[in-house]
Amino acid sequence: MSMKKFEEAATKSLLEKEFITPEQYDQVQAYRNLNLFSLHTELKLFLYASVLLFTSGIGILIYQNIDSIGHIAILALLFLITFFCFYFCFKNAIGFKKQQTQFENPIFDYLILAAVLLSCIFVGYLQFQYTVFGTHYGLATVVPTVIAFFCAYYFDNKSILSIAITGLAAYIGLSVSPQSLLHNDFNENNTLSYSAISLGISLVIWAIYSSNNDLKKHFSLVFLTFALHIISIACINNLFDSYWGIFIILLAGSCYYFYRTSYLIKSVSLFVFTLIYAYIGLNIFLFKLLEFSNIDSELFISFFFLVPFYFIGSIIYFIRLIKQFNKKASHDTI
Amino acid sequence: MIQYKKIELEQEFLVSEGHSLKKAGFIDESQFRLIDKNLTVLKSQKNILIRIGFFLLGSFLYSSICGFLTLISLDSMNENYQFLVYLFAIIGFVGTEVLTNQKYYGYGLDDAFLLGSQLCLAIAIGISSEGNELTISLILSITSLLCYLRYVQLSMAILFCVTLTCSILFLMFELGAFAKTMLPFTMMFFAIVIYFSSKKLFARLTLPFYCNGIIFTQAFALILFYLSGNYMVVRELSSELMGVIVTANNDIPFAIFFYGFTFIVPVSYLVLSLFKKDRFMLWIGILALCFSIYTIRFYYALLPVEIALTIGGLALFAFTFFAIKKIKNNINGVTFQPDRFSHGNLFGTAEILMATQLGLKPETTVESPMEFGNGDFSGGGSGGSY
Repeated sequence: MSMKKFEEAATKSLLEKEFITPEQYDQVQAYRNLNLFSLHTELKLFLYASVLLFTSGIGILIYQNIDSIGHIAILALLFLITFFCFYFCFKNAIGFKKQQTQFENPIFDYLILAAVLLSCIFVGYLQFQYTVFGTHYGLATVVPTVIAFFCAYYFDNKSILSIAITGLAAYIGLSVSPQSLLHNDFNENNTLSYSAISLGISLVIWAIYSSNNDLKKHFSLVFLTFALHIISIACINNLFDSYWGIFIILLAGSCYYFYRTSYLIKSVSLFVFTLIYAYIGLNIFLFKLLEFSNIDSELFISFFFLVPFYFIGSIIYFIRLIKQFNKKASHDTI
Repeated sequence: MIQYKKIELEQEFLVSEGHSLKKAGFIDESQFRLIDKNLTVLKSQKNILIRIGFFLLGSFLYSSICGFLTLISLDSMNENYQFLVYLFAIIGFVGTEVLTNQKYYGYGLDDAFLLGSQLCLAIAIGISSEGNELTISLILSITSLLCYLRYVQLSMAILFCVTLTCSILFLMFELGAFAKTMLPFTMMFFAIVIYFSSKKLFARLTLPFYCNGIIFTQAFALILFYLSGNYMVVRELSSELMGVIVTANNDIPFAIFFYGFTFIVPVSYLVLSLFKKDRFMLWIGILALCFSIYTIRFYYALLPVEIALTIGGLALFAFTFFAIKKIKNNINGVTFQPDRFSHGNLFGTAEILMATQLGLKPETTVESPMEFGNGDFSGGGSGGSY
């Protein structure tokens, strides 16, 4: 069962309405008649899953058996596997190019991911068992981060790039995986907010530098996405603090910047998240104003009357903003 | 019956066809812009993020209206507060009508009102019938079917399938002990019936905009069929409903049948899907197989989790490696060549997002400097609790 009959009818109808040329119609028909059933996505997903399973398994295996199996044997085995992964990847790589590159066979994309994850485990194990870096815990984070950045740029791999960025964030004490980004202790720890915001700003600067110098331009979106989320969440968390005035200005500034950038690079996800953070910030700001103005309860009822209209107003405004954006950018699904 | 004009919905389908032609590279951007400009009448939101955003805004609007009504009627309210909930449901339906009249079709706002009204209706019926699940699910299955036919929204088709299944389930509960024993077989039979009836319906369908709902119904039937015979589901339900106690030498009735079912069904889904070129069935087969492995691991942990993960990862890698090698150069049929019509970029994004989970974590908690790489990943059929 498939949509095929409807899709073919729709293509035909587009031809009849003269939106596509007969040649284009023939091309589409010829392609559909190949009757392809591509397992490209599925098999790549399997590769990804196998890498995750294997590295998780190895990771647990090593830390659970720290005292039972010979350390040297484990280290040697881990080193060997990592070495072979790297070896095959380097052998098959095209080499460093400033533009986007790709392995001929996508298997190597996942092999290099495995290699990077395994080297993270390797370095972590060295530190845990032998305290190679002594009490410089930061170094144990920096070394895998450097490896990851190198591999991300050399092999052109966005997954590894995001691992590298999490490493960078971990170095300043920040956890940036989606579900833990909200749980960082921004309130307890003011320096964390400042370092988070400066990390965000440096990511933005790096993204600007890269696109000016044509250095892996397609990585920009990853850098900018991390920067947007880190800066915005750090700012919003601090809006409940006593110094909230500075952070609302910072948030407004960053939202303005990302709003402009999302138009420039035509990224819907950047655009949407910028709007969301700006809207959250605005609502907190309005709430603070209400709190300061100290109105009595009689007037409060009328505020509830206004709330639906406030939402209708913001819906209309958002619809207008998105229409404007859609005129410039394309109909993408994410 | 349909809220929108048929021609508008058909044009909407043509626009989405034009979009996939553009993505596949058969037509260029300007051609698609022309199609979009000339044929788009309905306001619908293709971008899932924006749609979710508007869904949230719509929910805020809906709940603020309801909240305001509650506030002004707070003084005059007595024990008849259930009318208020019915009123909320009516507001939801009116809101949906107003929005769809303005040609909103899957914009997020209309979704919020549509789903919200069904939710309010369910709560209201629940209050009136003192929490009778059968009544709630029966009435909801009728309203959701009507809403699906009228507003052509996939969410209503999903709700219809779920509530209809729940109705059957609760009906069986009411019927007594024998019906409970027969529950797995009844559900299997029910799944087969919906599968084949929706297949027949699809063959006769002439309106392209209803096909998503029917395809979903079929996928739902496949999932239901698998779950109704899955060993874990059956065993947990029989101990829950009938107090069957499983000991070392005493398994649930027909245990061997259910063991076999748990593995034969996913595998046959996978094989069938490759023959029929049915992507939904393929995905359901993969997920079902993962769940089957989880089922067995749940009761019989043959290997410690870390060994199972390592070996599983290696085996999966080897399997995929040879599968890719085998079908890499096929130019038709089952192949590894990317399909020009596929929607691959979603998975690319998901992979990058997953990678952040695996990344390094800060070292502020010095007592456990060992969270390298082995994050809290729990998939592929292994338990998430280590």
